[in-house]
Amino acid sequence: MRLRGSLAIWLRDMLVLRRNIASEMVAVVAYPLTIYLAFGIGMKGYIGLVDGVPYGMFIAPGLITMTAVNAAYSESVWSLWFHRRVQFTIESYRVTPISVAEIVIAKIFSGFSHGLIKGLVVGLVIFAITPFRFPPSHLLIYLSFLVPGSAFFSCAGVICGTIMDKPETIGRVEAVFIMPLIFMSGLFFPLSSYPAAIIPWVRMLPTTALFEGARQALVNGSFLYGFAIQVGGTALLTFCAAVWIFRRKMAE
Amino acid sequence: MISAIQTQSLAKQYGSLLALSEFTLDVARGSIFGLLGPNGAGKTTLIRILTTLMRQTSGEAFIEGLDTRNQGREIRRLIGVVPQENSLDRYLTARENLELHARLHGMESKRYRKRIDELLELMGLAGRQKDFPDTYSGGMQRRLVVTRALLHEPKLLFLDEPTTGLDPQSRRAVWDYIRSIAGDMTIFLTTHYLEEAEQLCDRIAIMDHGRLIALGSTQELKDRLTGGTVYEIVFGAGAEHYAVILRGMACVLGIQVAGQTVSVGLERWECLSEVIAALNGAEVRRISLKERTLEDVFISLTGTGVRE
Repeated sequence: MRLRGSLAIWLRDMLVLRRNIASEMVAVVAYPLTIYLAFGIGMKGYIGLVDGVPYGMFIAPGLITMTAVNAAYSESVWSLWFHRRVQFTIESYRVTPISVAEIVIAKIFSGFSHGLIKGLVVGLVIFAITPFRFPPSHLLIYLSFLVPGSAFFSCAGVICGTIMDKPETIGRVEAVFIMPLIFMSGLFFPLSSYPAAIIPWVRMLPTTALFEGARQALVNGSFLYGFAIQVGGTALLTFCAAVWIFRRKMAE
Repeated sequence: MISAIQTQSLAKQYGSLLALSEFTLDVARGSIFGLLGPNGAGKTTLIRILTTLMRQTSGEAFIEGLDTRNQGREIRRLIGVVPQENSLDRYLTARENLELHARLHGMESKRYRKRIDELLELMGLAGRQKDFPDTYSGGMQRRLVVTRALLHEPKLLFLDEPTTGLDPQSRRAVWDYIRSIAGDMTIFLTTHYLEEAEQLCDRIAIMDHGRLIALGSTQELKDRLTGGTVYEIVFGAGAEHYAVILRGMACVLGIQVAGQTVSVGLERWECLSEVIAALNGAEVRRISLKERTLEDVFISLTGTGVRE
């Protein structure tokens, strides 16, 4: 498959991101930072150690990951919806000699790029203003979770942006489905807090694999193969689903 | 005749709704072809099939001899499309919009930079090329969309209601430009403005309920409607009385009365002397030849009812 069209659209999205980087970053950093300050600092005197690490350090990897996957999802879902339903630019791409697959791949990569850039910026900010430190070698292992995780959420965003025509539906899915999935995956508490009967089910969630794997990677430098395969496999499946659903929708 | 567009028994069905039915059309290369029809007639469906945005349910469509069903990429290389909506990227400047389009067409940067400069100059947008489309007037946005459609030098240009929402000056500017490029490329135009079709098009098709119901030049369509000549006679008084007399004459095809004005359809203009003789003694204020317009043709074929 030729990817000339994907590259052109991705470059367009990156140009727009570059142009709005300052305002985007303020918004992106504010939310996880507020959570970190409220929970990591405000509650640390009450919580103490969780899984052997200070609470601030326990939630920091999850906050970086949450920023990245949220950004990936939001960029994909809103960008696709906006370009399809408001600006009609998808239509203008479709009358050029590129394929529908090239368009959807561009949008997935744009969401993924947004996620990665914003996640890393939040990571830098947390690194700068908190005592949270990790050896640089842990970062590579962490990225092996963050990259497919962002890709997975970007693909999920593309699917939602493709099938949902009303903006309020997108907002509802985010509130009812995406955020609970993230919060239930052990972002703020260890999985051992769940009743024993529920833990196997929670561990089956791809978000659990992502957040738990990412935390173990960044804090302890350990690579959990099972979780990595689960995140990578889910990303691959949602990628195939996103391309298929988008192609079908465009053929309607 | 070399065809730029050819359709054969084209049909498109959405569930139980037949949007396009047995649509057969031939558009000559280098011509300006107009497609008219009320809302929901199937114009947009036809354009979407011809521009490969949608697949037909049955039948065939060829653009420059290429099949829309399996040669979409090749067809899209040859066509330029001006959609109903402006579809400009409001986060890119006018120039960046054009550059993106050129890249999607795989144009070399050296080539597209030169072409963009030329077109922006020609369309009077060069001075505003670094501005965002949101800051443009409606007419300027439309010109930018037309510029984008022409950037890759298409052989066939689809214009879907290109002047909707424009003021008369901007509309005429777009017409002038369409006329200036005609001949080099085939232009396929849909419009609600019948004057626009009359001014621009070599041939016109009228469609309704997904079917082609009339096809020809403006004059051919008008001739087909009138089947002769229509005169308008304005009486000072007694219009109804004379209408009855005229209705009884052999060469009179039809009569319409509106107040003291009687429209008389004649088989041929030579019948006028007979009509004048019949009006001996009547208080006639004015007799004038009534020009049939394309709107008359359109209304007579598609009816006066408002469409959803």
